[in-house]
Amino acid sequence: MKLLRVNMTDSQIRWEDVPPQYERLGGRALIAKVLLNEVPPTCDALGPHNKLIFSPGLLGGAMVATAGRLSVGGKSPLTGGTKEANAGGIAGDTLGKAGIKAIIVEGLGKPKQFQVLVIDGDKAELVPAEDVTGLGTYATADRLQEKYGTDASVSCIGQAGEYLMTGAGISTTGERDQRSNHAARGGLGAVMGSKGLKAVVIKKVTGKTVKFQDEQLFRTAAKEYAQKLINDPKLGTKGTQHLYGTASIVGAVNEMGSLPTRNFSVGQFPPSVELRGEKLRELILAREGKVGTRCMPGCVIACRNLFSDETGKPVVGSIQYETIALVGSNLGIENLDDVATLNYMCNDFGLDTIETGAALGVALEAGLAEFGDINGIVGLLKQVGEGTPLGRIIGCGAVTTGRVLGIRRVPACLGQAMPGYDPRSLKGNGVTYATSPQGADHTAGNAFGARKEVPPLGTEGQKALSLRLQIIAAMLDSTGLCLFSRPPIIANPQLMVDMLNGIYGWGWTKDDFDQFNRQVLRDELEFNRLAGKTRNDYRIPEYMREEPLPPHNTVFDVPDSDLDTVFDTL
Amino acid sequence: MAVDIETFGQLLPGQPRRRTLEIKAPATARDLAVQIGLDPSEIGLITIDGVQSDLDDEVPPGSRLCFFPYVSGG
Repeated sequence: MKLLRVNMTDSQIRWEDVPPQYERLGGRALIAKVLLNEVPPTCDALGPHNKLIFSPGLLGGAMVATAGRLSVGGKSPLTGGTKEANAGGIAGDTLGKAGIKAIIVEGLGKPKQFQVLVIDGDKAELVPAEDVTGLGTYATADRLQEKYGTDASVSCIGQAGEYLMTGAGISTTGERDQRSNHAARGGLGAVMGSKGLKAVVIKKVTGKTVKFQDEQLFRTAAKEYAQKLINDPKLGTKGTQHLYGTASIVGAVNEMGSLPTRNFSVGQFPPSVELRGEKLRELILAREGKVGTRCMPGCVIACRNLFSDETGKPVVGSIQYETIALVGSNLGIENLDDVATLNYMCNDFGLDTIETGAALGVALEAGLAEFGDINGIVGLLKQVGEGTPLGRIIGCGAVTTGRVLGIRRVPACLGQAMPGYDPRSLKGNGVTYATSPQGADHTAGNAFGARKEVPPLGTEGQKALSLRLQIIAAMLDSTGLCLFSRPPIIANPQLMVDMLNGIYGWGWTKDDFDQFNRQVLRDELEFNRLAGKTRNDYRIPEYMREEPLPPHNTVFDVPDSDLDTVFDTL
Repeated sequence: MAVDIETFGQLLPGQPRRRTLEIKAPATARDLAVQIGLDPSEIGLITIDGVQSDLDDEVPPGSRLCFFPYVSGG
């Protein structure tokens, strides 16, 4: 495999052999190590010393079911620490097939002179981006695919990334109608904008496949893994994820009193009956949209959807739970058509719907519009796309918005907005939000799926649960697995060990694999320590310890001493 | 006394999601699930008045009981 280094200061591109210290790494694990080895931890995240890294997971390109995710990373301008965000789509798989372990983007672009990186087999070049500069992500992807082929992968930023807004993410194209998959969190779109890189185009790879060291070992394990996914009643074609998508949990999270509502002031939203996965499926089928579609090759869960308006015109694919929570109930929005409108706008501007939804919630609390006022909210969001001063404030996320508007109730940890589970009634997630080196991020260790083993309203056991989930998340993000496909691997880690040994011939044991996963977190925590983070940065907002959340009227009361010792046994 | 019951997702397809059951004697969530035709093995999450509960928990009269299929956070 090769590394592709792209220096945006002098437009130099070079292919390198993978150095030994990166050979057994991929995805989030590789990003953590590159940051620790090559990026000064105290550097300006939007300056020349930060690096933007695109990397497939270790299974990328091997056509393992649901294992083609693309990791993107760098120092986060939002958290000031390490950052990995990942997305579905076809880029991860394409990079893996092309034998590219990572693209490492360095240096700094010239202001407002964007370029496009085009990779075609063993060739890579930077070309001017004049014809796509200023465009949203949909038009950018359309135009570049017209030029380089509809089967080319396009990863790009929208206006938000060009404006260096710290709520900006990176959009990447997927299968068929799944045009917009986002490595959304942590402001990596702003890092890409700072490099002067508008898009990365990877032309379809032909005649290349992953080379296996023990193909029989790999095939046997990969087949058993896929079969277990297909046979799992929770995940197969009769499963909740396939039928209703991630929105299947709206009803459950609302019932448990953890659904962010009106800037995280309440945990239940009665109109959420109109936002549920059941309603989403009903509307989509009635309007001849699509449910049960997939975002990346080989996915057997297929949890995506394509939402159409009342006339049958496609609006956005895919409406997901986190978006429903943050731009729906969190803003007092009571119907999926309005959620779809806001979702499309965020996708097109290249904004993280979680960060932007949280920032808008703070703005509404400040009185810039009323909760539930879709026209007022659309007006605010338009300003983000236009880059007005107020738009730039909201586009820089919840913490910036709260600071400027004088709002104390900002749902964020380490500078990053919380996703769709209020930690006062799902306390395991609160521990993850507070202690993850990634900042508030449900994909860093989501306790919702473990609610049976540790009751979500109690404090006992949350620390150990969060650590276990954070180690699992590091594994998923480093191998390229979708988090929904984790059950067979958690039940039998040997399946993953066999797949990796089959591809790479490393002779790993389950213990080696466990240490690999733990090392990801060690590297990330060390980078953050060197960046100046102390235990006092890994905290839940003060108001969430004091302000009871209806309907259970609970506060976040896991003691700081537990937060400080989560990683003691790492 | 009545119990307000709601089913979610693919549980009991084609039937109304909300119903009210009169209970004359103490009943568990399992009793009420079977009474409305649910296979307990298909239930992934139960809440009673918004608190996560088990199949063998007693359902107080006047409460709200919800049955969910297997759901996973995402």
